[in-house]
Amino acid sequence: MYGTQSKIDLALEYQSQIQILRPSIHSRRANLTVKFQDLYGFTVEGNVDDVNVLNEVREKVRERNRVWWALEASKGANWYLHSTNIGQGGGRALKSSLKLSSLANAITLKRLIRQGIPPVLRPKVWFSLSGAAKKKSTVPESYYDDLTKAVEGKVTAATRQIDHVRTDNNNNVFDIHEIWDWFSDHHLLWGLTLLAWFPLDLPRTFPGHPWLDTAEGHAALRRVLVGYSFRDSDVGYCQGLNYVAALLLLVMKTEEDAFWMLAVLLENVLVNDCYTNNLSGCHVEQRVFKDLLAKKCPRIATHLEAMEFDVSLVATEWFLCLFSKSLPSETTLRVWDVLFYEGAKVIFNVALAIFKMKEDELLLTHHVGEVISVLQRTTHHLFDPDDLLTVAFDKIGSMTSNTISKERKKQEPEVMKELDQRLRRLNSLNVNGK
Amino acid sequence: MATIGHNNLNAKLVLLGDMGAGKSSLVLRFVKGQFLEFQESTIGAAFFSQTLAVNDATVKFEIWDTAGQERYHSLAPMYYRGAAAAIIVYDITSTDSFSRAKKWVQELQKQGNPNMVMALAGNKADLEDKRKVTAEEARVYAEENGLFFMETSAKSAANVNEIFYEIAKRLPRAQPAQNPPGMVLVDRPAEGSRAASCCS
Ligand SMILES: Nc1nc2c(ncn2[C@@H]2O[C@H](COP(=O)(O)OP(=O)(O)OP(=O)(O)O)[C@@H](O)[C@H]2O)c(=O)[nH]1
Ligand SMILES: [Mg+2]
Repeated sequence: MYGTQSKIDLALEYQSQIQILRPSIHSRRANLTVKFQDLYGFTVEGNVDDVNVLNEVREKVRERNRVWWALEASKGANWYLHSTNIGQGGGRALKSSLKLSSLANAITLKRLIRQGIPPVLRPKVWFSLSGAAKKKSTVPESYYDDLTKAVEGKVTAATRQIDHVRTDNNNNVFDIHEIWDWFSDHHLLWGLTLLAWFPLDLPRTFPGHPWLDTAEGHAALRRVLVGYSFRDSDVGYCQGLNYVAALLLLVMKTEEDAFWMLAVLLENVLVNDCYTNNLSGCHVEQRVFKDLLAKKCPRIATHLEAMEFDVSLVATEWFLCLFSKSLPSETTLRVWDVLFYEGAKVIFNVALAIFKMKEDELLLTHHVGEVISVLQRTTHHLFDPDDLLTVAFDKIGSMTSNTISKERKKQEPEVMKELDQRLRRLNSLNVNGK
Repeated sequence: MATIGHNNLNAKLVLLGDMGAGKSSLVLRFVKGQFLEFQESTIGAAFFSQTLAVNDATVKFEIWDTAGQERYHSLAPMYYRGAAAAIIVYDITSTDSFSRAKKWVQELQKQGNPNMVMALAGNKADLEDKRKVTAEEARVYAEENGLFFMETSAKSAANVNEIFYEIAKRLPRAQPAQNPPGMVLVDRPAEGSRAASCCS
């Protein structure tokens, strides 16, 4: 029953449930904290200013819509496909003999994308510009359906972690009575299907979201995550991907397209090994980030270092969840708009921008807790994506993908050495221990 | 900002343990008095702080609630470095999570601050009928390894404040003024906690 409903229009399903809550007169007067739903159905808490900002953002989104449709009308549908991607393959592209119009398109496109892709066009534009469409076209039409059917009911290390089955006493048999109890406790009508085990990480992904946190949402998310864990067993399932995949589902509308976006993200956009066994790629990114912070925001870096505050304490989550757990949804997706077009360097721009925006406040902190609360307050209230992206792209100074690649190459051996030493120490613990 | 005076101290505390054992739930219960049936899974780590009054002193806990998935293990040293206390959490309904807890204890004994106050929490004690790890087994293990042990339930709140309170009591009181904030540098072993045993 699970594999059959893969192409439902997810966005429509949940969008019908979204209401724009207007602040009541009382809350306006008292400046109380109000709960409201954002563009993608997430419940957020904020003050009345936040609600107003969000309404302005809605208006800006409508404006972007008009701009993009006007472009389609004048340049033809899919005009952006004919432009050269100057973000990711800059040097190469310029050397080849390309048409001037295509270069002009590329420049327009880069600027447009930084200003934001309207949510209605996101699925289409992301799918083609990220390379997901191309990736999908290299395999048979039925790839995703076949994959989800083939993996249905299979138990692997990854499915165990997504579902969080306890494999006590070192065997893979789970107690069917316990599972039955669990299902009846939770009044789920899923019955004793092949999938009857504890879906722990599914309800723990954006709990409370009007679509994601439903049986249907959990099932779709599960198929995408389990499907991907079979496609790449090195990645398997890494916590953090649940948030990324969930947001992709909300944007892409169809499960299959969300799957391909996840594939292109992990296989082409992000640096290798961000999510594999010891997260070595993530360690590399963190070191590069620390170096960049020292270069781009030296005062903050010096101040935090003096406090013995390691920026990775907070930045690790940003890199692994691509901001989806920290920034409001539309702001996160605006970052992803650029990420899918310009590549993984964008994560550095944005992470640096979060620090840069609060330079003065951060310089006044004396304490780990204060730093974290400044950063959290900032990220949670960044309802206007332009506030962040303006700093990220205009105030940080340029960083090319090339320089970042070089930085990574420099850090890789160190990271590998460190992880290796640690592993050896731990292994010797196990040998010497009881 | 917390003052570090004679009777006030800051203590960095880290929670370690298997995914889903209930680390975040314990912290949420302790800091906000809440429990969520579905708690978001933690990525990297989350930070909280909470102050407790113990006897004549105030202890401000700076809590790092870490991610439990095995592959996040490589990030853990960043969070337990310099910690004055650790709560190692397992789920009493899972023997796997208990084995995992033992590994954490071993690692902390070798790599952590030698005077760290360590507590072992057998969480989800409300799920008595699903129990797989007996309290006796855990108690014996804890005693052998110089930890103190409590069974807790983030859901019912049983022993949650108590475990933090107990840690606060065991923290060494001496707090030299030149200590960097967030670190408790100890110059004598924690009261009541035995030295880590090695290779018994
Ligand atoms: N019955 C019961 N359930 C609990 C208790 N503590 C936590 N849970 C549930 O167990 C699940 C996991 O709890 P978390 O607190 O997120 O576990 P965690 O150790 O932080 O997990 P990670 O962040 O993935 O490492 C949640 O759905 C909780 O509601 C408890 O004392 N009793
Ligand atoms: Mg957690």
